[in-house]
Amino acid sequence: MRWLAVFVVASVAGAPAMLADPYRDYLLHCSGCHMPDGSGLPPEVPTLVGPLGVMVQTKEGRDYVVRVPGAAQAPLSDAALAAVVNWLLEKFNRDTLPEDFRPLDGAEVGAARRQVLTDPVKLRNRLWPNIDAR
Amino acid sequence: MKLERLIDDSIGKSLEWLDTTANRGSRRLARSTSRRSFLSKLGTMIAGAAALPLLPVARPFAAEQVTELGDPQTCEYWRYCALGGFLCSCCGGTENSCPPGAEPSPITWVGTCKNPVDDVDYLISYNDCCGKSSCERCWCHNTERERPVYYPSKSSSVLWCFGTESRAYHCTVGVVLGEAGSTPG
Repeated sequence: MRWLAVFVVASVAGAPAMLADPYRDYLLHCSGCHMPDGSGLPPEVPTLVGPLGVMVQTKEGRDYVVRVPGAAQAPLSDAALAAVVNWLLEKFNRDTLPEDFRPLDGAEVGAARRQVLTDPVKLRNRLWPNIDAR
Repeated sequence: MKLERLIDDSIGKSLEWLDTTANRGSRRLARSTSRRSFLSKLGTMIAGAAALPLLPVARPFAAEQVTELGDPQTCEYWRYCALGGFLCSCCGGTENSCPPGAEPSPITWVGTCKNPVDDVDYLISYNDCCGKSSCERCWCHNTERERPVYYPSKSSSVLWCFGTESRAYHCTVGVVLGEAGSTPG
């Protein structure tokens, strides 16, 4: 059975050796639930692939993506959180990201994550009633 | 002349014997088997080959490129620095693969451990293997980087059997995701 395990190991792509900081922070603080590829586990864990590019088209949406508890409460500085969100927008949402997208910065993220969001699902359903059906 | 005829006769008889034997053999084969039986055996083989990946063999989560030393069946093994639970390597699996019959949990928590071989911090994902009763071998409770009280998502003691068919906890693995780089946040 050992050779089979070796074969399975050999057939799976290897993890990159050195990771960029936003990717490292994503793996450390987000990927445990959202999966390393961002696909999540809907409906309990929403996907990060696709909807985020639509959400950040409004100011409320730009705030929302860093006000959700997993982002707002992550042990990351405002600048590091902004870098992670910008990274996953570019990485997982290229198809839905508007061409004139302006990356988030630490100041914007800091102001937004201080607005406590007690019911993320309620706000999500109000702002984007059909976003999870895409 | 006589000799030539003798040889011809013996060759003729040999060929006749060969012919008869082959004829009988193929008729016997045709009587005892059928095209359906051949097809059913072929179908079994194809289905068997397709089912091979479903067999309960140990499956690692991902390929890892890391040099390491030590005994993966002890709590002190470097990549277990924040592992709370039973070591899958003592339960029929390995340090990064579930034992046969156990289902790896997709939801997990991620910490870092320093590899003494190269003195580098690595990101380690502590996935639980689920769907079988508790393994009860090699219990460890290591806590590096875990913050269970104020960051429930960073707890080594929580059972991480989420997103699996069964919530039954069996054992835990430590999967190397990559290098953590300098001073992770």
